[in-house]
Amino acid sequence: MSRERDRTDHTAGPPGPAGSGQTTRWHRREWLKAFLWNQWEGLRNGLVPMLGKEMRGRTRGLRSPLLLSFYLGLMSAGTVAFLWLMTDRTSQIMPQVGLNLYSLLVLGMILLLAFIAPAIAAGAISGERERRTYDLLLVTRASLTGIVLGKWLASVAYLLFLVLAALPVLAVVFLFGGVPLSNMGMALVVALTTGLGYGALGLALSAILRRSQAATIVSLVLVFMLVFGSLVVAGVVSAGRQPAGDMPVPVGEPWQSVPGPPWYVYLSPLTALSPALPGTEGEGLAMSGRIPLVGTLLNEIMREFQMDPASAYARKMSYAYGVYPGTNPGSPGVPPPERGWGALPPWSRFALCQGILAVISLAVSILVIAPRKPWSVWLVSRRARARGQGGIPL
Amino acid sequence: MIRTSGLVKYYGRVMALQGLDMTVPPGAIYGFIGQNGAGKTTTLRILAGLLLPDGGAAEIAGYDVVRHPRAVRGVVGYMPDFFGVYDDLRVGEYLLFYAAAYGIRGQRAARLRDDLLELVELGDKRDAFVDTLSRGMQQRLCLARSLIHDPQVLLLDEPASGLDPLARVEMREILKELCRLGKTIIISSHILSELADLCTHIGMVTAGRIIRQGLLHEVLAAAHRRNFIVRCYGSLVPALAVLEAWPGVEIINATEEQVEFSLSNGPAQAAALLREMISSGAAVTHFAETQQSLEDTFLQLAREGGEA
Repeated sequence: MSRERDRTDHTAGPPGPAGSGQTTRWHRREWLKAFLWNQWEGLRNGLVPMLGKEMRGRTRGLRSPLLLSFYLGLMSAGTVAFLWLMTDRTSQIMPQVGLNLYSLLVLGMILLLAFIAPAIAAGAISGERERRTYDLLLVTRASLTGIVLGKWLASVAYLLFLVLAALPVLAVVFLFGGVPLSNMGMALVVALTTGLGYGALGLALSAILRRSQAATIVSLVLVFMLVFGSLVVAGVVSAGRQPAGDMPVPVGEPWQSVPGPPWYVYLSPLTALSPALPGTEGEGLAMSGRIPLVGTLLNEIMREFQMDPASAYARKMSYAYGVYPGTNPGSPGVPPPERGWGALPPWSRFALCQGILAVISLAVSILVIAPRKPWSVWLVSRRARARGQGGIPL
Repeated sequence: MIRTSGLVKYYGRVMALQGLDMTVPPGAIYGFIGQNGAGKTTTLRILAGLLLPDGGAAEIAGYDVVRHPRAVRGVVGYMPDFFGVYDDLRVGEYLLFYAAAYGIRGQRAARLRDDLLELVELGDKRDAFVDTLSRGMQQRLCLARSLIHDPQVLLLDEPASGLDPLARVEMREILKELCRLGKTIIISSHILSELADLCTHIGMVTAGRIIRQGLLHEVLAAAHRRNFIVRCYGSLVPALAVLEAWPGVEIINATEEQVEFSLSNGPAQAAALLREMISSGAAVTHFAETQQSLEDTFLQLAREGGEA
């Protein structure tokens, strides 16, 4: 069946001469069916075996247990150290200990995932080149999309495994209470989308740079820049835009919107994380002082780049560093409902950005590994047509 | 089965293929011979769909390699000159992985795996990790991999490189078996003698062009210059005089004991020459053809091709 359909290659166009309108329609339909079937077959032939092989390979050997031990060890050590510090000082457990511990754990988990994801994916394609298994893969009936998606999903599956493995550590928080389940779900979504986006970025670099070592280093640097650098840039840019000098606070004036934060701050999971942590909803990051770790960490990074008057202005506008849009305090009326981008909560803005990053990265990977680039196939075919060799020229 | 016409490939400004015309009939074992850098690997990679030609056309089993890459992949099994294996997989899993990549699953894949491992004599290694296999075994495993989708055509790029003599013999036996199964096989090599007793057809490539191709014995016969050695009782002078006057004779080496010469014509001329020598008074004690090695033939052809 599949071989019969293969005779109609999608690059060949509808087969046969078009006798009548009906025949042409029939040809088109058949061609479309064959094209879709070929795409589906190629995707399945690439994705299924690649996913199986990668997952099998990843869980074999010493590397996986070592990585898992390192990751869980760090999280557990962080938890124990935090609890030890908190209880030792006061000899009684404060109610916000649970929340603080939760913030610390989620922040730690996501930062670890943000750096583990690209490191795992960075060897995926360059490793095939280095092991010289790349050509063997390309001559099969698996499509490039299937191969790349298989590699990506395998690394994502491994990350999911890491996230699930960390759940028991996170569950310590329930001893203290105070964290709603929905909030934890949100944190897990941020963790997973972090892995999806940065994993795809690592994969693209693996395809572009051809050497695993280079791809790993560059992807780690890039992820570092996305996680922290985007916030720093946002800080610098918003500092530049704020008027120097204390502005009068427009109390009592009708509601007016404050410019939203630049889109690129949502490339950092820290931005998404801040409202995903309890106690920060509806507040700017600068105000999230109640969560000591996340709040002060982010604030300190930002404060470095912001002049004091501007910072004061921003605080009065209840709007800090362009991270969370606010309203003028005390202004009458209800703010108009936000639409589109503005209506999305920060964690879903982050998820959207990661989705776009993943799609672009995967498309780049596929194009880079294609042995026959679409445009060169088109050029060669055009040259053949120009020579009057329309059909098979032999 | 396989035809290329005027195949051209550039690497930057270097012209790797300069209009390569190749014809491989169905069921042939086609020895693709040329020195390093002659364009063998480039041709095979174009046929396997891994490279786009810059000009010309190539067709395998009726499918054009540029226009129908997917169909070509279905009929071609390719084994590159340098290849790696997934060291974290077992031999059986390795074959099943490629079977799935060719769309073969379930019972059929398992049966194919067992049959192919039997064919390449790795049946007892099914559960061994691939990286524990020797080089020869990995080569055979890679051959099994290239056969997993039952291709009509096999493209083998230097399959014997890096193998010890015993492994070469094993590889040769497997290829003969595959030929009996009706596969069309192209084997590239830079050593002609390696292929001489295996191939049915031969194509000699120099600087991106095929300089001679066809049935093995015809190509060799056409290219072959017969070399002879003559020894005489007493003086060699009368024999030398005849040789120098005879058309098509080229004296290679003349010593006091023997004359070595080459004759471009057939055996009838050799017999006539011997008769003439004897009738001219030479006391011939030895008149025999020496075997010209295949390498010499190839070098001679390469020289002729280069001059042409």
